[in-house]
Amino acid sequence: MVISRFGTLTRRGQPGPQATDPMQYLLTEQQKARHGNFKAFVNQNFEPFAEEWDREQKIPESVISTLAKSGYLGCSLPLQYGGQGWDTVTFGLLNEALGRGSSSLTGVLTVQAMVSMSLLKWGSVEQKQKWLPLLAKGEIIGAFALTEAGAGSDLKSLVTEFTPSQGGAFVLNGAKKWITCAQFASLFLVFGNLGDCSLACLVPRETRGLEVEPIHDLMGFRAAGLAKLAFKNVEVPPANVVGKPGFALSHVAPVGLHYGRISTACSALGLCRGCFDESVDWAATRKIGNQPLGDIGMIRSLIAAMGTDLEAGSFLCHSACRAADANLPEAFEKALMAKYFTSKAAVKAASDAVQIRGAAGCHGSSPVSRFYRDAKIMEIIEGTTQIHEHLLGRMFVQQARRPVQ
Amino acid sequence: MNNALYEKEEKKVRETVTNFVLSSINIANLNHDDNLFESGIVNSLFAVQLVTFLEKTFAIEIGMDDLDIENFKSLNATTAFVMRKNGWQRAGAT
Repeated sequence: MVISRFGTLTRRGQPGPQATDPMQYLLTEQQKARHGNFKAFVNQNFEPFAEEWDREQKIPESVISTLAKSGYLGCSLPLQYGGQGWDTVTFGLLNEALGRGSSSLTGVLTVQAMVSMSLLKWGSVEQKQKWLPLLAKGEIIGAFALTEAGAGSDLKSLVTEFTPSQGGAFVLNGAKKWITCAQFASLFLVFGNLGDCSLACLVPRETRGLEVEPIHDLMGFRAAGLAKLAFKNVEVPPANVVGKPGFALSHVAPVGLHYGRISTACSALGLCRGCFDESVDWAATRKIGNQPLGDIGMIRSLIAAMGTDLEAGSFLCHSACRAADANLPEAFEKALMAKYFTSKAAVKAASDAVQIRGAAGCHGSSPVSRFYRDAKIMEIIEGTTQIHEHLLGRMFVQQARRPVQ
Repeated sequence: MNNALYEKEEKKVRETVTNFVLSSINIANLNHDDNLFESGIVNSLFAVQLVTFLEKTFAIEIGMDDLDIENFKSLNATTAFVMRKNGWQRAGAT
């Protein structure tokens, strides 16, 4: 049995001793304790079954129920709405622990946070009172219905449309694609156009005119319950509008996307940690002739990069979460940096983990094959790598320019 | 309320808002009534960054009821919005 430097036992399904985590000196005792609880919970309830969920392309309802009962789905919501009231650092640690076990399952936490936090910031008093307690307890799962077949990176190309109806209501027509957890979500936060301006609204699953078509056979995130949505003359009462017309894409969506980025960044970090744990375990035990794999320079080179990226990603994620907790405007940019770095690091780590493992890494008996497929998805969801480069590159250049006279 | 006090506070608020906005955009000249959201001079994150900055700097809470472009569209509009949120009012104003 090998214990990695991060304290996790590297045999699947068993919790490790107290982690010697790079973040230990930056976390409070409470955050450390919670992190330990999250990892133990994931190791017991989720990680041993992740491969089966991936193969079946489905997370059992009982597992969603276990996640809901843990209270984790309301981790960032205030106590007054039945949430845990935890800080963003703790949210990040939870996402990392879940990401180590199952990227697909982390998707549930991601979209739950995206919908919840958008509502928390921009919802009406009535919407918050009605929906947030249900989301906090996991009694309903939310889904963030933004992406369309023709509008992923370019949100200006959205074609889902609201038209005014009687009594301040709207009629919704259009379609969404690649919507995480839509196969089992009960509440959709839908974005579209109202004439020249943007609108966001809540659409419960049972609303007449809403059709859900599962998407199967994804390369990764296979159990994350993605689906297409079709809206055919769906009636939206005025009480379901979130924020105000004209502010959906400028104000409502960015709040959700911000939490989505933090969640994905930390989930990718968890995947990196899984790749690292598997790799050092294999390098320490596998022999080529009489020589441990870990004594071979080429293998050490891969592991050195993997371990250093893991450390760097930990700090970027922590920085993004701390900035969010301090309510700093630069929190949004720090989340971009964290997601950009850890998703790319996850792709490299997973590729190298498969390489280190050899043929066994290409088979479902090793989690690294699933990590490899899931990692690639992380470079695309919540903003592609290229969009991140576009935004961050512009930001850095702008910061170097002199102020206006 | 003494207008001199109001104007002193307003000047401070406007300077603070202007410094933040100028650090976020890249144009040669910006007048206090220029529309920030036209002509693509701000990026897709600017609106929420502005909200976060105003909340943090001026200890105000911005919610759904404040979503009105008239509150954020220019340096002067944003300044006036912050002044109202913090209860400042010119003497003689109704």
